[in-house]
Amino acid sequence: MSLWVDKYRPTSLAKLDYHKEQANQLRNLVQCGDFPHLLVYGPSGAGKKTRIMCLLRELYGAGVEKLRIEHQSIVAPSKKKIEINTIASNYHLEVNPSDAGNSDRVVIQELIKTVAQSQQIQSSTQREFKVVLLTEVDRLTKDAQHALRRTMEKYMATCRLILCCNSTSKVISPIRSRCLAVRVPLPSTEEVCSVLMGVCKKEGLLLPAELARQIAEKSGRNLRKALLMCEACRVQQYPFSADQNIPETDWEVYLRETANAIINQQSPQRLLEVRARLYELLTHCIPAEIIMKGLVTELLSNCDGHLKPDVAQMAAYYEHRLQLGSKAIYHLEAFVAKFMAIYKKFMEDGLDNFMF
Amino acid sequence: MDEYDEMYGIEDDFERQFADELEVMAEMERESPVNVKVSEFRAKKQTFEEALTSADSALPDTDTAAAQEREEDEALTPKAKRRKQDVAKKLHFEATGDDITPPSSPETCQRSERTRSGFSLSLSPDRPVAAEPVSVLDISGLAVLQESPKRATAPRHVLKRPPASGDFITVTDCMGNRVYLRKTQEQDEQTPDPRFFRNSQSALGLLAVPIEVLKEQVSERRHRQLVEESQRLTELLNSGVDPELLVDGVIEDTEDENMNTPDESSASRLWVDCFAPQHYMELLSDDFTNRCLLKWLKLWDWVVFGRERKSRPPTAESRTSSTSTQNQNQRFKTKSQITEEILEAELDQYKRPKLKVALLSGPPGLGKTTLAHIIAKHAGYNVVEINASDDRSAELFQKRIDTATQMKSVLGANEKPNCLIIDEIDGAPAAAISVLLATLNRKDSREGEESTSNPLKKKKKKETVLLRPIICICNDLYTPALRPLRQHAFLLTFPPTQQSRLTQRLAEITRRQGMKADTGSLMALCEKTDNDIRACINTLQFLHGRGQRQLDQRVVNSMSIGLKDQNKGLFSVWQEIFQLPRSKRKRFGGDTLGGGEEAGLKDGSQRLQHILHLASSTGEHEKLTQGLYDNFLSMKLKDPSMANVCSGLDWLSFSDLVNECVLHGQNYSLMRYLPFLPAAFHHLFATNSVPRISYPNSHYEGLMKTQHTKNALVAMLAEIPPSVRSRVCQNNLCLDVLSLLLELICPKLRPVNPQLYSTREKQQLCELIDTMINYNLTYRQERTPEGQYTYILEPNVEDVVRFTGLPPRRQLTYQVKQLIARETELERMRRVERAQQKHNPQKTETVQEVKEVKKPQGKTRTSRNHQQRLENIVRQTVVESKPEMDFFGRAVVPKEKAAASTATDEDGKSSVGAQIGKAVGNSDVWFRFNEGVSNAVRRNVYIRELL
Repeated sequence: MSLWVDKYRPTSLAKLDYHKEQANQLRNLVQCGDFPHLLVYGPSGAGKKTRIMCLLRELYGAGVEKLRIEHQSIVAPSKKKIEINTIASNYHLEVNPSDAGNSDRVVIQELIKTVAQSQQIQSSTQREFKVVLLTEVDRLTKDAQHALRRTMEKYMATCRLILCCNSTSKVISPIRSRCLAVRVPLPSTEEVCSVLMGVCKKEGLLLPAELARQIAEKSGRNLRKALLMCEACRVQQYPFSADQNIPETDWEVYLRETANAIINQQSPQRLLEVRARLYELLTHCIPAEIIMKGLVTELLSNCDGHLKPDVAQMAAYYEHRLQLGSKAIYHLEAFVAKFMAIYKKFMEDGLDNFMF
Repeated sequence: MDEYDEMYGIEDDFERQFADELEVMAEMERESPVNVKVSEFRAKKQTFEEALTSADSALPDTDTAAAQEREEDEALTPKAKRRKQDVAKKLHFEATGDDITPPSSPETCQRSERTRSGFSLSLSPDRPVAAEPVSVLDISGLAVLQESPKRATAPRHVLKRPPASGDFITVTDCMGNRVYLRKTQEQDEQTPDPRFFRNSQSALGLLAVPIEVLKEQVSERRHRQLVEESQRLTELLNSGVDPELLVDGVIEDTEDENMNTPDESSASRLWVDCFAPQHYMELLSDDFTNRCLLKWLKLWDWVVFGRERKSRPPTAESRTSSTSTQNQNQRFKTKSQITEEILEAELDQYKRPKLKVALLSGPPGLGKTTLAHIIAKHAGYNVVEINASDDRSAELFQKRIDTATQMKSVLGANEKPNCLIIDEIDGAPAAAISVLLATLNRKDSREGEESTSNPLKKKKKKETVLLRPIICICNDLYTPALRPLRQHAFLLTFPPTQQSRLTQRLAEITRRQGMKADTGSLMALCEKTDNDIRACINTLQFLHGRGQRQLDQRVVNSMSIGLKDQNKGLFSVWQEIFQLPRSKRKRFGGDTLGGGEEAGLKDGSQRLQHILHLASSTGEHEKLTQGLYDNFLSMKLKDPSMANVCSGLDWLSFSDLVNECVLHGQNYSLMRYLPFLPAAFHHLFATNSVPRISYPNSHYEGLMKTQHTKNALVAMLAEIPPSVRSRVCQNNLCLDVLSLLLELICPKLRPVNPQLYSTREKQQLCELIDTMINYNLTYRQERTPEGQYTYILEPNVEDVVRFTGLPPRRQLTYQVKQLIARETELERMRRVERAQQKHNPQKTETVQEVKEVKKPQGKTRTSRNHQQRLENIVRQTVVESKPEMDFFGRAVVPKEKAAASTATDEDGKSSVGAQIGKAVGNSDVWFRFNEGVSNAVRRNVYIRELL
């Protein structure tokens, strides 16, 4: 546990640094004994997983932290063999069904059912239910989600589900209505700063408040990223200086350069270059919606106020299509082309007005 | 009709009729189709004989049976009732040229007499009916039976192979030996006698119509036919026109009653078949191709017909004549030269040409099959065709090939050697083609002089070399299944048919069928069908069938028929999408017909239709779209506002949505909207210049790279310990963690021996190693192509986060990486060791050095070994001294035993071995003597001395 992210991760609900009220509510939930299915959602790096693990510890004690990786192989009705890794303790099972791709339905049906069907032997000493933790539920196919809804009801006596996802918009409503939704928002900048300061203090380092603030802002309040950045700063240069260079993720740099390329020139040739860059991003497993979001943010910050509503509207339009379609590159490029057209027209109009 | 045609050609005016053909043949090689043609004629005659036989035997059916058979023989009976019947039949059966001629003039009659006598001479003796105008009764079946022994004795010479000249008869005896009998004239004269004799006997009136009458009818009919033929021939000779043409001309001139007959018969028959070329000279396909194929086929003459090939240099005049016919092919000179070289090449050891298969390729409707058939016939072969409608599994294919190439019909019908034509071979399974290849490459086990001496005999052997030509026909030369065959085949690619020739032929056909068409509209038709002969003729027939006798340009343009479902290559489709069609004459014609603006509009919609058709017929929509997407930005876009680019991309994303709907919702009805994307692209981006199109591989490359990235991530995730694993998933690994992690594992370390590090540095290193292990990273030594050694991350996640064009990240030096790699390795071992210890702590008594990893492992093993041995010895002791006590755990027993055994020892009962065992069990010292190994002084040492 050498990375700070791992080393200083709180392990119990009482030790959580922020959203303490929510932590209290969760503790009450455990104590009152009537534990529902949970749907934990929130942006990446807000501490969903940490909170869930703390909750599990509250439920079962320290035994949940003895984790093991299990390789499960499931045979689909079509005789297709699906391999999937699960992380399990004696009390819970963590699965990421979307690892199975299109056959996630089979994983839900077979794996979770077998787990849910088995009862705890000594129900007197422990809780009478196990917990199945499903991650990335928003990436599940509709089929799998429909398979899930019946399972949730049927095995209520022996099993609770905790679903973890970034956004509920892709979770079908029958599932949402069966769960207690818990939103874990991003920590505020101050909270990130205090966490960073606390970690540095435990490490015996002195972190200037200014740098902490910069890191928090640069990380977009993503705590995981903030901690990693802080540690990277530490590796780069120890006696911290307030204005030191904070390392960034490469893809963000690349995306920013792409946006600049779009602003600088609008022509089919440039579009071709931008296409190559978009491909590069996509092949590095950067999700298309994140590319879209990053592009829009960068472009908006660079263009005139009159254009902003149009650009935002366009972005929404094309992102919607992006979600519906399957070839991300078409939609991304369509957005870029549209932006180029609007921007070019605007610049030329501005030039004309200036001339006359 | 053509049988007679040939027959007459042989007998008297062959030279004249086929004068030009002969010229061509002379240019090729020497050629004598005489005997071939006669035999063909005989085949036909036999059917006539059968007709008579049936007429004799089946009395009530006489008329119909005879009529049926006669139809094939182009028969004609004088009775009006019969004729009606014939007409009725003709509605159902195909009959090309049967007709009734008006009473001939005396001159032609005389002429016909002359020709008839000549004709009868050529006949075989068992057909006196035609030979004798005198009415004689014929019971032909019996006559033949009676005759055959007589004929066998009559000639002096029995030939073992067919005579080079003159007519002959093949006779096969019960042993299977075949002999050839030469025909002489006197046989003909002898034959009537027994018949006449027979005639008198059978006057019992078994037939309703006396046989004499029947015979008279038959002979009269034949007479008429001969007259008509002769008349036709005279006309032919006078005019010197194509015989085919004349046949129809005669038809049209005949009396009114039969006026509609040919029309109806041809209505039931495809014009393509009616007007198919019958002779070499009528072929529409490219002269050079025809000539090459014929030449190739002629190369087989030696082995098939036993004729030696004259190696004569092509005469100057034939050279010039051949080149003059193919002036337009001048630019293919080099290719044609290559082809000619192949044709001039030496024969192989079996006197076969080097390339044993001809492979004709070209788009449909150029007349490949027709050419193959005509040429094979022309060269004197009997055509055996295998096409896609036959079963072409490997075994059956083998069987058929063998049948066709090694056997020969025994019953004298076709005694010509076979020529195998495999049509549509590109659809054959690969197994069948390998069978064909095996046949080609078959080596004869007993090769040598036999093959030269008697090729005909040789082919009867099993597993012989291929001695018959094979012609394969395909549309797509580059089908993967054909790949092996291409190297062994004489490749002939069909150039498109010349439009002028095709138009000429079409004009001929329309004229003959009474349609009016000007050359311009016919040209338009040719253009529309891409010079597809079949499509053109079919279209004409279709129009004719609808009662349309007038063909003009408007009709041709408005027609949606004649468009075939052509499958063009993707590149040509892309090209057509990105290129505006060149202005053609056709369009000018359209302009003259309608107003200029209207024509322009029509042109636009026509273009749209064309592209839609093109796109939907390719079928590979995915690839098509990808190609458009990859290429449209590189076109010369006159698009300053980028509006076209935007709408093009909108189209793309729309088509993506539709595709998604189709694939995920199985809503295939939406698929019809997909071809509109290419059409839209055509209207947006088509230019006049020739587009440069590259094959779309961006998508595929993207996929491969993504896969590569994913694999690296999966490999990394696979070994991460569960406590960390539960916190990272693929997504946040590549978004947040990896990039910074790589930053983290490159601390500034002094490149010195780690022993010299300060405690702080040591701790830093320790943490680094810990991180590396936790995230399943290590450095692996690798040799670069330049021969240097580098350490790279394993799994190589550096590729995952590195973007081309960004400044490269700071790297550790080689030494530091080496250090880290070693330490990581050691730490890994230590962890494994620790885990083992935790798992079974009792086994290792000694505290192991943390630093040394290998040694402790060895130690544990040795201790385990000697413990085991000790245990064995102790156990033996225990077993021996068992009776006294009940069986406890082994560790306890020896101690109890010790006391007990000392007592028994004093009794002298227990053995020395037991004593040793006890001693071993009790003491810490242990000794073992290996018997048989002595390189030292031998001395007896007892255990007790050691203890």
